[in-house]
Amino acid sequence: MVELTIDGKKVSVEDGITILKAAQMNGIKIPNMCYDKRLRPYGACRLCVVEAEKQPRLLASCSTPVAPGMVILTDTPKLRKVRQTVLELMLIHHPLDCPICDKAGECDLQDVAYEYGKPEGRFIRHRKAMPPDVRGPLVELTANRCILCGKCVRICSEHQGRGALGLIGRGFPTVVQPAFGEILECDYCGQCIDICPTGALLSKPFKFQARAWFLEEKDTICPFCGCGCTLTLGTREGNVLRSRGKEDNGRSEGNLCGRGRFGFDYIYSDNRLKTPLIRKNGAFVQATWDEALMHISDSLKYIINSYGKDSVGAIGSHRCTNEDNFMLRKFMVSVIGSHNMDSSAAFGYSKVQKALDMAFGLKTHSINMKSPLGKDVIFILESDISITHPVFGLNILQAKREGSQLIVADSRDTKLTRHSSNYLKMRQGTSVALLNGMMKIILDKGLFNREIVSKTQGFTEFETSLAEYTPGKVSKMTGISEEELVSTAETIAKAKNRMISLTVSATENTKGMDTVLAASNLVILLGEDIDALQIPAEYANTYGTYKMGIRPDAGKTDVKDIFDMLYETNSLNALYIMGEDPVSTFPYNSKIMRTLKSLELLVVQDIALTETAKLAHVVLPASSWAEKDGTFVNAEGIEQKIHRIVDAPGQSLPDWQILRNLSLSMGKEIAIRNIEGVSEEIKKTIREDQKTSDKRVFNTVSYSAGEEPDMEYPLSLVTRDVLQHSGSMSTRSKALDLVVSEAFLEINEDDARKFGISDNSHVKITSRRGTIYLKAKVTDTVQPGTVFTSMHFPHGRVNALTYPSENGAAGTDAVKIESVKG
Amino acid sequence: MKNDLLIKICMGTGGLAAGGSEVMDAFKKQLRVKGIKADISKHCSIHRVGCRGLCAKDVLVDIILNNVKTTYQFIKPYMVERIIEEHVINGNPVEEWAVTEDYHQFHNKQIKVVLSDCGNIDPEDIESYLNVGGYDALKQVISTMSPKDTIEIIKKSGLRGRGGAGFPTGVKWEICFKETSSQKYIICNADEGDPGAFMDRSVIEGNPHAVIEGMIIGAYSTGADKGYVYIRAEYPLAVERLKKALNQARQNKFLGKNILGKKFDFDIKIKLGAGAFVCGEETALIASIEGQRGMPRAKPPFPVYKGLWEKPTVINNVETLANVPYIIRNGAEWYSSFGTEKSKGTKVFALTGKIKNSGLIEVPMGIPLREIIYDIGGGIENNMAFKAVQTGGPSGGCIPADLLDIKVDYESLAQVGSIVGSGGMVVLDENDCMVNIAKFFLQFTQSESCGKCIPCRIGTKRLLEILERITCGKGREGDIELLEDLANDVKATSLCGLGQTAPNPILSTIRYFRDEYEAHITKKKCPAGVCKDLLSYVVIAEFCKGCGACKRVCPSSAISGEKKAVHKIDPDLCVKCGACFEACKFKAIGKG
Repeated sequence: MVELTIDGKKVSVEDGITILKAAQMNGIKIPNMCYDKRLRPYGACRLCVVEAEKQPRLLASCSTPVAPGMVILTDTPKLRKVRQTVLELMLIHHPLDCPICDKAGECDLQDVAYEYGKPEGRFIRHRKAMPPDVRGPLVELTANRCILCGKCVRICSEHQGRGALGLIGRGFPTVVQPAFGEILECDYCGQCIDICPTGALLSKPFKFQARAWFLEEKDTICPFCGCGCTLTLGTREGNVLRSRGKEDNGRSEGNLCGRGRFGFDYIYSDNRLKTPLIRKNGAFVQATWDEALMHISDSLKYIINSYGKDSVGAIGSHRCTNEDNFMLRKFMVSVIGSHNMDSSAAFGYSKVQKALDMAFGLKTHSINMKSPLGKDVIFILESDISITHPVFGLNILQAKREGSQLIVADSRDTKLTRHSSNYLKMRQGTSVALLNGMMKIILDKGLFNREIVSKTQGFTEFETSLAEYTPGKVSKMTGISEEELVSTAETIAKAKNRMISLTVSATENTKGMDTVLAASNLVILLGEDIDALQIPAEYANTYGTYKMGIRPDAGKTDVKDIFDMLYETNSLNALYIMGEDPVSTFPYNSKIMRTLKSLELLVVQDIALTETAKLAHVVLPASSWAEKDGTFVNAEGIEQKIHRIVDAPGQSLPDWQILRNLSLSMGKEIAIRNIEGVSEEIKKTIREDQKTSDKRVFNTVSYSAGEEPDMEYPLSLVTRDVLQHSGSMSTRSKALDLVVSEAFLEINEDDARKFGISDNSHVKITSRRGTIYLKAKVTDTVQPGTVFTSMHFPHGRVNALTYPSENGAAGTDAVKIESVKG
Repeated sequence: MKNDLLIKICMGTGGLAAGGSEVMDAFKKQLRVKGIKADISKHCSIHRVGCRGLCAKDVLVDIILNNVKTTYQFIKPYMVERIIEEHVINGNPVEEWAVTEDYHQFHNKQIKVVLSDCGNIDPEDIESYLNVGGYDALKQVISTMSPKDTIEIIKKSGLRGRGGAGFPTGVKWEICFKETSSQKYIICNADEGDPGAFMDRSVIEGNPHAVIEGMIIGAYSTGADKGYVYIRAEYPLAVERLKKALNQARQNKFLGKNILGKKFDFDIKIKLGAGAFVCGEETALIASIEGQRGMPRAKPPFPVYKGLWEKPTVINNVETLANVPYIIRNGAEWYSSFGTEKSKGTKVFALTGKIKNSGLIEVPMGIPLREIIYDIGGGIENNMAFKAVQTGGPSGGCIPADLLDIKVDYESLAQVGSIVGSGGMVVLDENDCMVNIAKFFLQFTQSESCGKCIPCRIGTKRLLEILERITCGKGREGDIELLEDLANDVKATSLCGLGQTAPNPILSTIRYFRDEYEAHITKKKCPAGVCKDLLSYVVIAEFCKGCGACKRVCPSSAISGEKKAVHKIDPDLCVKCGACFEACKFKAIGKG
């Protein structure tokens, strides 16, 4: 600790921090324009200068570390004078077009000028006259307003790891621009917009929508991935107009990705449902709530009477709140009397959970977003966490910046591979082989505590099972050289501490339960705790949905899971789907459609008319996330409140209310009147799962490839997410669609040449299950023999090609491709 | 000496520009023609040597015949034949071409340490350096001294950074030595960018091995195992000679693994600067080596703690490093016997401007400025009146005539509002306008500002604008005060040395030549007759002979007048080019 005096106040602060930070921690404000705590000190704006006793020079408080005994003055006539001059200089070229600037009212430059500025200028004014760069889809650059604090450039390169903006030119004519003055092509996270202290960088969708002082801001939780970032939504006259992150706010501490910042407008999709719909003579007819609920309850009663309770199933949703999912469960158990429930987690989080239960005896697995920080080695396994969980990804990048060794094994170039210390270029879907191979090396070299670990249950079988995973063989399987395998295994084994991370979800087909089991083995082998394994739940409320008991194994045995319900035609007679679109987002959708069409009753409750809803007998309009109160549980297992911020359109209702009303229609009174009632009931019913366990079991896992390419289907198709989308919900966002609005097939240059495919041309892709057409993107970021696409877009129909891997193994698809000439 | 005949031809940049290589060719040819060819290998050799200082008299040639040295000045190829014939063959030096008294006067008051071998040895031949004791210091250090001993000697010598800031070199090395890090660096800052400065360039061109030797000793003392020379790409000759010297040093095992058989590895890379003045600032220089945008960053942390790639890094100027071998060889006491109490040793200056003997000089710290100007420099060109000396380049200030007796050292110059800086010394005479001089330096710093911090990026622009309006007759009441006020704020708030010192030329010219500013602003006159917009040419009737010389050269036909009658200049047509002023033999054109 260091003791110093700031403005007469004796303070004691941590050694090594800056004067500015010390002042801020003690409630002393020092004006600044180029400082952000996420970034390295820059010292360009010179507003934060302070006086120090016995120091002839003024010190820039943002970059000068505290020293014992310092006597600092932050507000003196001399400082006011120089700050005034600096500000005067800053304003000479600023256009002062505040009346038409969206930043006005929340502009740092305005605020500082208000405090320090003086009415008259001593210098001739030269307004800069650069036309604004409006070419990008979401971010607008107005160089005239820029004061060159460099925050945007730095947050983009230092913090986001992207580097899409640069300072171009030197000295006075310097401007912030993408390289070569081209159109800004970036992650579209919009962090530059939040960090800009002036109106130089603005959100295009928000442009001219509302003055800052008319906006009403409310915090809520992001509806997309499992990070659970806090969004500050700005509304005016009942409409959400923008979303932003506020410093230190929530789990994300003010960071947002493009989905959270721009994707909220999916709630204004043209496709939103406003009334219940009942299929009559093959076509949907608008209905009243009473008609719809009566129709459903009559049909359900008939089906239960005819085929029994077990002929009814339900699918819950990671997009819905805990309250919604809990009510679905209550409806199924208390009203229907069936435990046939599952959710998208079956393809992701449930698999992880099952594996971790087997290995560690834990029923819930939460991550810690901060866990990468301070780790000696971070090992990422075939996962692009910067895309699936962008804000968690930021912490990985930060850890790397702060000295962690980042090892990334992947089959394609990603942001993480670009920032890695070691990039193991592997064949897709061979993570299990890689892990087994590494563990074999660790075992053979004795890089673990045999005395303790060998006592672990299953060790002998485990050790024997690895015999065949010699470096030579594993090198052939994975495409990683033997030397790299050995050195990586050694690095990970010898690390002081480590974090191993991967993602498992319905939208990725290269990892499965076996991957998690193999990773668990590695963690147990190295004597680490489960915390060393960080596998985030995929979506905003995947964790909560699972926790609320929307899973086949929650209550009884012999219950139908998602594979029975969606892929077996005679398994059910009635299916109730809440907030899920299996036809778009689950694999092998032709089979799903066949199953759904065979049902006697399919009820779909959603915010929009999805591909699945189009097959339903009754469609019920639900409120979106911004139109209801409730809670989400993020991947960290932290429950966070979401708020009703705007009114729901038409007659749509929160999911839990629909289910309560339906229960009433079914003649079963559920004594819940309001959302608080649901919360109380949840508290009573849902037990908190244990967080620790002493159980450690080695589970033998052998590598099995997905569909191996052959003569007929020579390529492997890998599905991965794209950064701007999350599931299929985000594809309804107009803003996000401006960046990516269709699925495309990424193909290596060599393969493209081999199959006669040129960039941006149409390709026919066929697997054993179906055929689709996509545009090709020829690239060197993917390896030969593998093609990549994403499942987000319903019209892309990528799931016509894929298949579900019920046994929990990874399942890449073998495909053939043809150029579509014409 | 083995050779009966030794010919040394100055082939520094100045020498080459004056035709050094042609003179060299002429000597080779003439020796062949005169049949002295056979003896070249045995008793006769021709050397190229680096700058010996007096560039104004290039090409300078030394003929050392039987150990008697004669130096010739202004040598052109056509003169070579006669020199060979009369001097080399017949033994009678060509007196009329030999250097005059002022050549000796130029050297008399100088004390050469860094430059002691410059102009004497062949910079492209390591043997030449070894013959004068080169690398002896390194051998001594590596075989008999610990890093601590070496640092102690440098500390005791009182050597301070010659790049301008004057930080004690030994202390810097000691801090770096004490830092615990697996990797340390030493960087030689050869990004000499001040207008009118050519000290570092001449040292590298004239004696690159001294710099290399100094760096190796520095690396040994601090624990660095990698070195960089950051040198301007605009110094091609220096780069070429440095490259050659590095290769020779490697071949001689002074660089590389296990230097001189000891467990000490060190090698040096050359990094070319891309033409940004600000990259001479150490943190910007580091950023540039790292491949980043060449912008300074805030200090602390100082590079010696966190420098290149966040590792402890010593950055020394060329001249500082070139001093090191001589200090080790001759001892700390010897070095500290020169100079003043706080400023020890010698300093190299680039003496330019309106001075007779312009060139490169090395003087003991503390020498009176007057001696530099009048004894070494030989006084002002064309017997004009001395007005001021601008020292320290764009970061420095002016020293007016009434302060001519001050001592030239770090403290004294700082006291009068100037600095030693890297060693630029521009002499100004009565025909120089001080406002214009300030404007010149501001133009330089303004265009070289990296643009990172606001006071420097925008403040220097405003300062320059005010100076521009003063020099074009649009100065306003209060402009001097505005200049002073803004200059002080820019100094106080700028991020790096560039911005913190950029206003110095303004402040010091206002301090000593406020009347000139006032004349520009209130009387709309430039007393020195430099600022075109404030200038009018008139014919002084009593001197005009009506010869018509002015009329003939006037490009805008502004002069009229019959032959043998007094001419007249039409101010509306006059473009103030000054051609008439130059053309008039009777001083009948007046500036006013």
